[in-house]
Amino acid sequence: MRYYITRILRSCLTLIIVVTVVFLLMRLMPIEGYFGAGFDKLDEGQKIAKLQNLGLLDPWYKQLAKFYGDLAQGDLGESITYRPKVAITKILGDKLIVSLKFGVISLSLSLVLGLSLGVLMARSKGKAWDRIGTAYVVAANAIPAAIFYLLIQIYLSSFFNLPLLYDKGNLKSWILPILCLSLVNIAYYAMWIRRYMVDELNKDYIRLARAKGLRNKDIMVRHVMRNAFVPMAQYLPASILSTVSGSIYVEGLFSIPGSGGLLVTAIQRQDNTLVQALVLMYSSIGIFGLMLGDVMMALFDPRIKLSSGGGSR
Amino acid sequence: MKKVISLLLVVTMLFTACKSDQQPTDNSAPNNQNEFQQGQDVTEGGKYAEKQVYRYAYSEEATTLNYLTSATQVDQGIAAKTISTLVEYDKYGIIKPGLAEKWEVSDDGLTWTFNLRKGAMWVDYEGNEVAETTARDFVSAAQYLLTPSNESETANMFYSVIKNAQEYFSGEIDDFSEVGVKAIDDYTLEYTLKAPIPYFESMLTYVCFFPAYGPMLEEMGDQFGTSNTTMYFNGGFILTEFEPQAQKIYKKNPKYWDKENIFLEELNYKYNKESVALGGELYKRGEVTHVNIPVSNLDEWMNNPELKDMVRPDKLGNYSYFYVFNFKPGFSEENEPKNWEKAVNNLNFRNSIKYAFNRVAAMMTEDPYNPEYRIINTITPPNFVSQNGKDFTMTSKLSDVSNGKYYDEAEAKKFKEAAINELKEQGVTFPVKVVMPYNTGSSYWAQEAQVVKQGLETSLGTDYIQIVLLPHAPTGFLNGTRRAGNYGLMKVNWGPDYADPQTFTDPFKRDGNYNFPEYTTSVDENGKNIYEKYETLVNEAKSELIDLSRRYELFAEAEALLLENAFVLPYNVSGSEGYVVTLEHPFEIAYAPFGISNLTFKGQKLLAKPMNTEEFNKAQEEWKTQRASKLMEASK
Repeated sequence: MRYYITRILRSCLTLIIVVTVVFLLMRLMPIEGYFGAGFDKLDEGQKIAKLQNLGLLDPWYKQLAKFYGDLAQGDLGESITYRPKVAITKILGDKLIVSLKFGVISLSLSLVLGLSLGVLMARSKGKAWDRIGTAYVVAANAIPAAIFYLLIQIYLSSFFNLPLLYDKGNLKSWILPILCLSLVNIAYYAMWIRRYMVDELNKDYIRLARAKGLRNKDIMVRHVMRNAFVPMAQYLPASILSTVSGSIYVEGLFSIPGSGGLLVTAIQRQDNTLVQALVLMYSSIGIFGLMLGDVMMALFDPRIKLSSGGGSR
Repeated sequence: MKKVISLLLVVTMLFTACKSDQQPTDNSAPNNQNEFQQGQDVTEGGKYAEKQVYRYAYSEEATTLNYLTSATQVDQGIAAKTISTLVEYDKYGIIKPGLAEKWEVSDDGLTWTFNLRKGAMWVDYEGNEVAETTARDFVSAAQYLLTPSNESETANMFYSVIKNAQEYFSGEIDDFSEVGVKAIDDYTLEYTLKAPIPYFESMLTYVCFFPAYGPMLEEMGDQFGTSNTTMYFNGGFILTEFEPQAQKIYKKNPKYWDKENIFLEELNYKYNKESVALGGELYKRGEVTHVNIPVSNLDEWMNNPELKDMVRPDKLGNYSYFYVFNFKPGFSEENEPKNWEKAVNNLNFRNSIKYAFNRVAAMMTEDPYNPEYRIINTITPPNFVSQNGKDFTMTSKLSDVSNGKYYDEAEAKKFKEAAINELKEQGVTFPVKVVMPYNTGSSYWAQEAQVVKQGLETSLGTDYIQIVLLPHAPTGFLNGTRRAGNYGLMKVNWGPDYADPQTFTDPFKRDGNYNFPEYTTSVDENGKNIYEKYETLVNEAKSELIDLSRRYELFAEAEALLLENAFVLPYNVSGSEGYVVTLEHPFEIAYAPFGISNLTFKGQKLLAKPMNTEEFNKAQEEWKTQRASKLMEASK
């Protein structure tokens, strides 16, 4: 228990440092960025009125204090340039849900298909299935995603008569983007589960199990799968959580109104409040995702203990 | 293996079940517009499309719908379709009544009284009638605009002309009733100006003079226009759906006062970040009715006989692009600013570059099929404004410049020799370093800069000039280059703010941040400073408010002076979208020399098939001829 408490405290400290540094860096950006293309046509009075309104003319420590004050009350503020005067929570709420839906569906699909493929490959190591699977894994990793996304979009949509662009009312339009999002992940999971399983298969306890006369299927599912999944379990929570950040290219191609590329856009447009909120969110996801991963690992493998210092593994 | 397959099936079914709460919303809402169209041939014998629904994939989303604060054209384009203005432009660019049925101006030119039409209703996003548009809505909008905490980026346009408006904005007066905008009664609106402005009517088509329903503004405050539910509409279309980064859907407004001139039933805008890459495919599949063909894809369309027949150039825009010489160099010592200062003040030096500048070659990077189309010989683009039926660029001395010669290598060499002789005496060292920045965010510009560099260095020789290219990232581009004087020769641009030649003198104002011409030591044959001469002419023109022909002549003379002395090298007028495949008829909508009136879709019909280049050119010629005679008529 003590381990978790100190770990949470340390995570919070990291989070505060990250957010503060980003906050201060944003204050170093040139002021013209807050005005966009119309900057040349504004007069001094208008510029000052806006900067004053945004609180950007205050000293940095005052701005920082105000930011944490608002944050403590759960107020992330209003967007400045991305969608002026709209609450950040509203903007993020709309977008994250969309990305999360796509992310979780594609991740589940990748897990199911990837693990099945990996198990199949491990069981038929060196035979046809293994070779086909390996070819797929190599292809998925070697061909730049941008190319096969575009190919999938243009050719599969006309071949299967599917819509080119996402339309939230049309379920058919979900198929291609989910396929695009899953392809690489399937290969990733297949590759690792195969690797870990092959490792496990060569271990002594498997030989013992075989000698005991256990059925091959039981060995695979009860022993090999379970042990092979442990190293992958660690990254699972972080992967699930980070799907909220969306995919820049797939969302762009299929017109999905998710959060892909939102951080980049927000930085380019100098939308301080939005950048701060996103950094806060992504860093928390990163930090707490890893922590959950450790917990998961401990659950899957009773040999791993996080609380006592050293000696467990 | 069987197990794996059955597991997959189960999973698929689960997903389908999870997603079924996303069932499509019923799109079969009653289409009442169809009834009203029945019985008449909408296609006019096959010329126009049967289904008047405009569909477009856009990649740049509006940031706000608040037209009283935004200065961005994407945002203002929404207001143009949904909000009515006092006056409007017709398809030849002539002002005609809008919400104001008639208007008059007092003898001193200061008080403008507008009589509003009755029955122009505000409706909400569902089309429910809210209230009538009255003169008070213009006053409320003005007060909102002039409240600094609302951060309006167009307020300065308003307070540059309206009496006491700037004083109210800066807090010098608190009583809004002193500001020169008054509702005499519900249907009578009165503006009082600071000084007589001959182009005041044209300004009324810009967002800062748009009305907004007063009680709504008061209720919403800074949340006005953050979504389509926090504003009302009184224009040709209603924004029925607005999902940022997803879609915008406009429906024809059945309560619009001039609905007979709205032909499109629906405007359907679908967001797609990669619409430049996908646009062609979307058009071929019939998912959009308008698509822009970027230069990189142009060959694919032009080399295919079938596709070629659908592509046409877009109408020209009104942004002017020109190269300027910098008279107050702020670049680093290694590029020899002192040396540049001496060289740039020499007329022969500037002329040598002017005549060596092959604009057509440079334009090939942006328009390889018809580079001459966008090139102009003046700062003010042709067809911008006219007086007595005569285009501004054809007025007095400016007409010589318009018809003058630009690229001429023999001429360039002559000027070069003359410049070398004169400059050597002043101790100028050769080659003169010419700092030329470009924005790395624009691929055209990078190519164009290379072409210009090579062209100038080849015709003038690297022992005479050396072009130092200065690539700069898009972030803080203008602050790092033009505004800081960190250039010798640079392409800059200016878009007009109102329909008067004065607008194109603004970049050259004293203490501006374009090319700092007030620092010149260049003099004419009588020893008079060129910039002082220019300034005198401009001031004289600005104060000429009664005799507009004289006003135009003076402005023309001023612009001619800048060009004859090669302070500025005119380059091109914006080509709008460049090349398009579209069902829109380009010459049936309002023509406006500036601003957003050409974005209203009023009068727009969709053709049965897209115009090709020949048809476009023919239609353009017809339009030009008709326009010339209409302008003559209007000036009488």
